[in-house]
Amino acid sequence: MKILVCIKQVPDMESKFKIDSDSKWYETADLVWRMNEYDEYGVEQAVQLKEQQGDSDVTVLCIGSDRVKETMKKALAMGCDRGVHVVDDAIFAKSPQEIASIIADFSKDKSFDCIFTGMQSQDRGSGQVGVLLAEMLNLPSVTTIVDFSYDDGITKVKRELEGGIKALVSVKGPAVFTCQLGLNTPRYPTLPNIMKAKKKELLSVPVADLLHVESNQETAEIFFPEKKSGGLILEGEPADLADELLKILKEKTTVLS
Amino acid sequence: MNFELTEEQSLIRNMVREFAEEEVAPTAAIRDEEERFDRALMFDKLGELGLTGIVFPEEYGGAGADYISYAIAVEELSRVCASTGVTLSAHHSLCANPIFLFGTEEQKQHYLTPLATGEKMGAFGLTEPSAGSDAGGTKTTAVEDGDEWILNGTKIFITNGGEAETYVVLARTDKNAEKHHGISAFIIEKGSPGFSFGKKEKKMGIRSSPTMELVFENCRIPKSNMLGEEGHGFKVAMKTLDGGRIGIAAQALGIAQGAFDIAVDYAKERQQFNMAIARFQGVQFQLADMATQIEASRLLIYSAAYKASNGISYSNASAMAKLMASETAMKVTTQAVQILGGYGYTRDFPVERMMRDAKITEIYEGTSEIQRIVIGAGLTR
Ligand SMILES: Cc1cc2nc3c(=O)[nH]c(=O)nc-3n(C[C@H](O)[C@H](O)[C@H](O)COP(=O)(O)OP(=O)(O)OC[C@H]3O[C@@H](n4cnc5c(N)ncnc54)[C@H](O)[C@@H]3O)c2cc1C
Repeated sequence: MKILVCIKQVPDMESKFKIDSDSKWYETADLVWRMNEYDEYGVEQAVQLKEQQGDSDVTVLCIGSDRVKETMKKALAMGCDRGVHVVDDAIFAKSPQEIASIIADFSKDKSFDCIFTGMQSQDRGSGQVGVLLAEMLNLPSVTTIVDFSYDDGITKVKRELEGGIKALVSVKGPAVFTCQLGLNTPRYPTLPNIMKAKKKELLSVPVADLLHVESNQETAEIFFPEKKSGGLILEGEPADLADELLKILKEKTTVLS
Repeated sequence: MNFELTEEQSLIRNMVREFAEEEVAPTAAIRDEEERFDRALMFDKLGELGLTGIVFPEEYGGAGADYISYAIAVEELSRVCASTGVTLSAHHSLCANPIFLFGTEEQKQHYLTPLATGEKMGAFGLTEPSAGSDAGGTKTTAVEDGDEWILNGTKIFITNGGEAETYVVLARTDKNAEKHHGISAFIIEKGSPGFSFGKKEKKMGIRSSPTMELVFENCRIPKSNMLGEEGHGFKVAMKTLDGGRIGIAAQALGIAQGAFDIAVDYAKERQQFNMAIARFQGVQFQLADMATQIEASRLLIYSAAYKASNGISYSNASAMAKLMASETAMKVTTQAVQILGGYGYTRDFPVERMMRDAKITEIYEGTSEIQRIVIGAGLTR
């Protein structure tokens, strides 16, 4: 089985973000980088599928500067077999459509049986790359999966719907799946596997070789929302405070209705 | 010269930090309170992650990584739980390493491999009631009897004692030889006839790490269990401690870093006189000193570790690293309690535990005075 998992490197979300000088993105200096959380579920699922199927090959693909190699090494240490690094120092300026088309161009003649992406990235959060990629490759896609099983060409996945409802979807043949929290618990890359990751193939491809579309959208500006007027501060004895809070919740909100 | 971590070292730090924060930290306070060792968490899990044999070659079940990776792993564990840090350090540096350095091929296959894979846990027995800093004062004896050695004596304050399966123990094999010369090292398995455990220590810090007495009463072990040459045990012990000091230095560094991180976060949050206390220069000066000492310790440790991995003599470097890092840990944790004020003194915050934990790093594997003796002797030889 040939499996592709697409990952993105994002800043640690605990970081203090600053907007960059031309207001198009955040400043990237002094940030701590890690694998996009949803992509970790994708990597774990890809490796589990490989372990279940045997005789499989997992390719991990990541677009970005040289800095993303460390995140790719983590995916390799978690069990991916080979890496494809699409070298692009200005990844942040690319639209979801451009990103998807880069991946589609790389994948088009590789006949992957199964492609995983995160359901969204933690920094941009557009949630489009997986579905656009499926569209471009003419494959079915199933989004926000929280459960995955594969048997003899049929993939059964659970999707998360609103209000705690789940849907069971089955797909025949190759497809793209976008992964949601709850799908699995990503493994730690063990020390021996970190050491072995060094020896795995990591191919570099210039982004220009794979990007053949023009962007159809552009981020005009990024900004912090204006500060709303300060919150309400209650003072007094705990018992009175509780009564007052209850009153406010009843009168001004619907949380208790 | 390059001060950056390699990709592997950086991945190892992230992996161990994630594991430490998610799985070790949540029970650190309660294990301290109950003086409880949790083997499944504090050792078996480390084995699964490949941390029980970091520097040993793959052929002996190790990961084949370097000493900097080892220091990073102990540091990151100790940042949230110093007891877990020393469990790994004693196992890896004090038991597995002398077997790697001095063991015969057969001993390595038989004893090192299960230690490196984490199937078995190790400990090191040097200290005795009358032989502390003065290890040459060892009174435990080993006498040859046919195909066996018979040991008699007691070892005290043994980290991982009782829990470990494999022990490297020093005993006197020649009563007539001069002090340091009549000592030999042995590999002793838990369950050997005549080998039992005595008192479990009640301690100020690292309370989740078991510290036990080892008792040998006509304990019989096969003759092939001598480690290194007869009469060369003192050398085995000293070489073992050279490596061990990198582990304890890293433990001290982790404790200091953990306390510092909490102190910085707290200082930014805590409001007094209508502003965050971090805005007071008096607090900033303290934080500046703490951060500077921590970074200096880290560089000394990584430099000693670099030497250890590259075949450069590192006896003095590891003594300096241990001296600096353990004294830094004591200072930084004391200051962290100060910055947290009354809250820091309570068990609602981990800094009081870290302050209690820090003290031992100035004592074991050679007190600070002994480190100064080692460094001084090296300088004036
Ligand atoms: C929690 C814990 C875990 C331990 N784990 C282990 C273990 O796993 N294996 C093991 O073998 N041992 C272990 N030890 C023992 C530890 O290494 C010794 O306690 C330590 O080496 C000091 O020996 P001592 O306690 O006998 O102190 P002493 O040697 O009696 O020292 C008392 C004081 O005298 C000072 N002093 C001694 N000699 C000199 C000198 N020449 N010049 C100046 N000052 C001097 C010392 O620095 C110290 O301040 C452990 C101890 C503890 C508390």
